[in-house]
Amino acid sequence: MKGRKVARSVLLGISVLSYIILWAPALVLILFSFSKNRFGIKWEGFTLEWYANLLSQPAAMDALKLSILVVAIAIVVSSLGGTLAAYGLYKYQFKGRGILRVVSLLPLVMPTVVTGAAMLVYFTQLIHLRLGIGSVIIAHITFTIPLSTFVVLGRMSRIDWSLEEASIDLGANKVTTFWKITFPLLLPSIFASGLLIFPWSFNDFITTYFVAGVGVTTLPIYIFSQVRHSTTPIVNTIGAIFIIIPLLGTLFTSFFRNRKSAQSRSGHD
Amino acid sequence: MIDTGNARCLEIKDVSKKFGAVTAVDHLSLYVEQGQIFSLLGPSGCGKTTTLRLVAGLETVDQGEVLLNGKIVNDIPAHKRECSTVFQTLALFPHMTVEQNIAYGLERRKVAKKEIIRKVARMLDLVQLLGMEKRRPSQISGGQRQRVALARSLVLEPKILLLDEPLSSLDRKLRKEMTIELKRVQREVGITFLYVTHDQKVALSMSDRIAVMSKGKIEQIDTAQGIYEVPKTYFVAEFMGAVNIFRCRLASRSGEKMYFETEEGMKILAAMCTGVCAEKATGISVHPELIELSPIGTKIANKNVFKGKIAEMNYQGDCIEVKLAYHDSKNPITVSLSNRIRGQSLYKVGEEVLFHWEADGSNVLTD
Repeated sequence: MKGRKVARSVLLGISVLSYIILWAPALVLILFSFSKNRFGIKWEGFTLEWYANLLSQPAAMDALKLSILVVAIAIVVSSLGGTLAAYGLYKYQFKGRGILRVVSLLPLVMPTVVTGAAMLVYFTQLIHLRLGIGSVIIAHITFTIPLSTFVVLGRMSRIDWSLEEASIDLGANKVTTFWKITFPLLLPSIFASGLLIFPWSFNDFITTYFVAGVGVTTLPIYIFSQVRHSTTPIVNTIGAIFIIIPLLGTLFTSFFRNRKSAQSRSGHD
Repeated sequence: MIDTGNARCLEIKDVSKKFGAVTAVDHLSLYVEQGQIFSLLGPSGCGKTTTLRLVAGLETVDQGEVLLNGKIVNDIPAHKRECSTVFQTLALFPHMTVEQNIAYGLERRKVAKKEIIRKVARMLDLVQLLGMEKRRPSQISGGQRQRVALARSLVLEPKILLLDEPLSSLDRKLRKEMTIELKRVQREVGITFLYVTHDQKVALSMSDRIAVMSKGKIEQIDTAQGIYEVPKTYFVAEFMGAVNIFRCRLASRSGEKMYFETEEGMKILAAMCTGVCAEKATGISVHPELIELSPIGTKIANKNVFKGKIAEMNYQGDCIEVKLAYHDSKNPITVSLSNRIRGQSLYKVGEEVLFHWEADGSNVLTD
């Protein structure tokens, strides 16, 4: 009995420690974003000054807007492209399908430094694309499409494909069947891939840094340049915002999902 | 095969289908009369589902013709054929309500909204699902899902309804209920059913006619009674549970009676069938429930009387299955004793008994 009790408290200790290690930097960052200290590196009393400051920093706001624009385009394009790719890779029998499937997911496991450098050479030396927003968006899409393909393919292997046959059997042609049956069934996974793409694209620093060129500053690049020159509390505030918003989002979705599943359970009588 | 002269709703003429090197359907021909329940019965992999899919248009035939109401439909795509399928997995659309599922086919046919509402309501009534309109498939029971799938197909008033083992996922009690339910619905709507199943019980209780299939070919087509009582081939006999099969030849005949002799020297008496089958006979099959047991020394009127030793007794609930050893024959004789004498077992393992059956219990097999 005693041994079990000890084991339990040791386990509890390890768990608590793990969470502290995981969350302490974030908590410190959030805490310092409210600190009066000019460099945001120690506690000198509560203030909302830096938050107000952030709103009046056009460069930070521009970087944020640009990041959101890139993410939005990446999500739309890769949802479309990823779904089509997954559909083709899953549904149609052709030579080299297996290889193509693996190859199309390759960008996910390649080191981003390699992708970034390769892309820089490709844009500047081969197709002579001027570096800018365009090149950043293309670079992002190269790794967000595989993400989308991967997620949608996963869903496809769990779909009951006799649903498509049933639809055709009931008199629908292939196009109608796709829009009325297949697409609604894939929609949750397309949505999920969007959720997955958001942080990948939004966070990306390395690839972006390679292909951004002069004057194109996404939020990660902006933060990096701020920290490199001098630490400012603005970095803390941005960090705090991007911890708190997704956290609330996650809590909200899980709360909503719990309620929904409780509802559908009560539907069974 | 008795042709009653009724209109042929479905006709399959010399149809073959290959998947790679595997022949799923091999020169198959059959017809289904208007308003009948016709079953394709066979073990898994016998080609019965492929046959159904060929009729539905979900597979294309390699050779031969499929006719619906006398018209060749080989080149008509699945979504334009006047037949409808109830799938094994049911394939109810999970993101739609019961009502939307049933209305789906009508909407594709551009039926007027009012008409759709009326027809769906009538179907819900027919399959006893009133009050379930707004539920999703995940929110109703297995039996109710079955009914939705049925209603979704029936609402289109197809020329023929194709059912691909729709009851296989149900437990035994529910399956029995749904079998009766299916028959009731079929009687009410009068639509022809082509029913695919591997379950002999379901096929026997459902069908007007049954085709037993094996390896892409039809072994025998007959009424339920014919298939069960007068199987023609070894395969059908065994599949329908007539597991006592004796390889034998016609030894002699006198008037109505035919004597057969097995390799082990058993002399089996069979009642007259037709002159033709006797000459081609290669075996006799006997259903286990037709064989009776008696203690040694009993006087027995039956003509087929043999002595055997009880090797095994298996309690089955409604009957007791007895395995008998006959001389040095490798194959045991299976006898099914009805369990009317509750709790008492008259015989013991190892005991010698007489086993016997009537002459008309011997069914002549031709190949």
